[in-house]
Amino acid sequence: MLDLLPQFLVNGIITGALLAVPAIGFTAIFAVLRFPNFAVASHATVGAFAGFVANVTFGLPAIPSLMFAFLIAGLVGLVSDEIALKPLRRYGALTTAIASIALTIVLENVVRFFFGNDLRGYDLPLVRDIRFGDIRVNPQQLENMALAVVIMIAVFAALKFTRMGKAMRAVADNPGLADLKGIDAVMVGRVVAFVGMGLVGVGGMLFGLGTSIDPLTGFRFILPIFAAAVVGGLGSIPGAVLGAMVVGIGEEMSALVLEPAYKSAVGFFAIVLVLTFRPRGLLGERAY
Amino acid sequence: MTDVKNLFAPTRRTVMLGATALLATPAILRAQSAPITFGTLTPLTGVGGTYGPSMRDAAANVFTAVNEAGGLLGQEIDLVSEDTQTNPEAAVRAVRKLIDVDGVSVVIGTWASSITTAVAPLCWENGVMLFTVSGADSITQLPHMGYIARTQPNSVLQIEVAGDFMLRQESTGMAWIGPQTPFAQSSIDILAGQAEGAGIGMESLIYEADKSTYRSEVDTILRSNPDFIMLGGYAADSTVVLRDIWQAGYEGRIIGPAYAVNPTVLEALPAEVTEGVFTWEGAPDVGSSAYANVQASLGVEEVDPYSAQTYDHATMAVLAAAAAGDASGMAIRDALRTISQGEGDAVSDAIAGLEVLAGGGAVNYSGASGPCDFDEIGDITGTQFLFRQISGGTPSDFERV
Repeated sequence: MLDLLPQFLVNGIITGALLAVPAIGFTAIFAVLRFPNFAVASHATVGAFAGFVANVTFGLPAIPSLMFAFLIAGLVGLVSDEIALKPLRRYGALTTAIASIALTIVLENVVRFFFGNDLRGYDLPLVRDIRFGDIRVNPQQLENMALAVVIMIAVFAALKFTRMGKAMRAVADNPGLADLKGIDAVMVGRVVAFVGMGLVGVGGMLFGLGTSIDPLTGFRFILPIFAAAVVGGLGSIPGAVLGAMVVGIGEEMSALVLEPAYKSAVGFFAIVLVLTFRPRGLLGERAY
Repeated sequence: MTDVKNLFAPTRRTVMLGATALLATPAILRAQSAPITFGTLTPLTGVGGTYGPSMRDAAANVFTAVNEAGGLLGQEIDLVSEDTQTNPEAAVRAVRKLIDVDGVSVVIGTWASSITTAVAPLCWENGVMLFTVSGADSITQLPHMGYIARTQPNSVLQIEVAGDFMLRQESTGMAWIGPQTPFAQSSIDILAGQAEGAGIGMESLIYEADKSTYRSEVDTILRSNPDFIMLGGYAADSTVVLRDIWQAGYEGRIIGPAYAVNPTVLEALPAEVTEGVFTWEGAPDVGSSAYANVQASLGVEEVDPYSAQTYDHATMAVLAAAAAGDASGMAIRDALRTISQGEGDAVSDAIAGLEVLAGGGAVNYSGASGPCDFDEIGDITGTQFLFRQISGGTPSDFERV
């Protein structure tokens, strides 16, 4: 079985890179709005289906379709946050988190209403894996991973160099102080809801590119996304990337010691381990 | 002068009379006004969502036809349809509502075995008849007191038939890969026994459902170099597995249940991924007049096996209630085998069956899914299987056994 270790490691890195994109969105929303938004599940689905419409209905290639997925999932995130979640935020994080679960069920069923339950595949040519010795990688996976890395770099650059990025970090680190400095926390919250859910939507489509999509697509990723954010440190964006790698590689490598039927246990185990020994996560909760 | 106080003082006789009247009233009201209520519990959403709406419609059309022809036992049939969401927890909530709130005496159409296993105890404890299309052999081995009848061949029979097929196709190394389900381990055991009997190798792997990739699982199963792989999952995970197996460069043969490699999977995957894949299923009786009835009522050319079965469920529930003169779950349970098998007139729809029964005759219902004869534990007997092979994204008949 150990002969499969390098292959499992490669599989894990690819899964981790894809997981990092929605995990960044999830943790960024937590950093600024201070509640775990479980509606990421349905927004991943919305992004996957928006990308499907762009790719299959409008005939756009993968990258413009990803941009469309970002835009639509971001807009849905912004509007649903304004209508359903923002009015509840003053009642506490738990209330808002529970409302976000309700929101995800509503959005999932809206997608189901328009698209039905059928599985759908993107209109992309399927190619066989490339082999490097005993290790096989699919070109589509490499492309998805490269896209994920580019998106991550763009997010980091935006946070570091743009005015809005700095404002987001300021609100995340100390909302009171940011307010004194004249930063409009409401506007920052809107931008974060848009960008965060946009990233989650892109993540949903990136996963869909490698498989196929249905209204439950996003629901399947909610645990690894949450685990990645908790492991890295809820609210920490580099932490989300690290956490995604830990969960992605951990899930794939677990096949060496665990029955594959218990793969999800890795996510739960990572959450329990981190909450027990390092409750603030591997990188703490500083946003950046 | 009569003492006013004594006028309203309860005596033993008035209390007894009052209590008796109170107890009797709801029963009288029920008998006079409540229509007969049957329920469908199909997967309208979730991985079984491809079949659930059509399964519900096939049953609903039977009840509509019966109502239009004058009803059952002089009453209208009310149908309440609930969604299992292909999720056992949601299904348990739904069946509780059907039983406790709607008061159904029959539940029709549970699809996934995990769901049937979860809702069955609630049905038999409440005296509700459960008609199911689930295949796990463990289901009819439950202590259900006759309250379960299934029209789907059980998983033992299904796997044996498919394993025989793989051996007939001269497999030299078999593999089974699928998610954790009530029939996963029994499928592996049956296939392993057949492989051992044929002196060939057999590898198996149970994976976790609802993952976006199974690359590592595919790597693991391909280490034994199988030349024939059986898929054991449902549509969503089989799509991922088929793609991952193809991308891994596997050149051998694959067989999957028709509900897993279904038209939506063929639509979602490029044709080269499914080229040459075999499917098998308990085949509906396409030549029967009951099958033609379902075709006409659903307005489709090809009826899926599950909608054919729920048509049979609904028809058998109506005929059993009519034969018993009572639409309770217990009466339908007791009368089921008197209308599904035996020496009665052969009928293929509810209206014709009701006419025979009204004339004092006996019926033997032959359905769209097959003869609909049940053994003592509620398993169907005498089913045909259809093997198909996919070419260019389209399945075509390969063999009928």
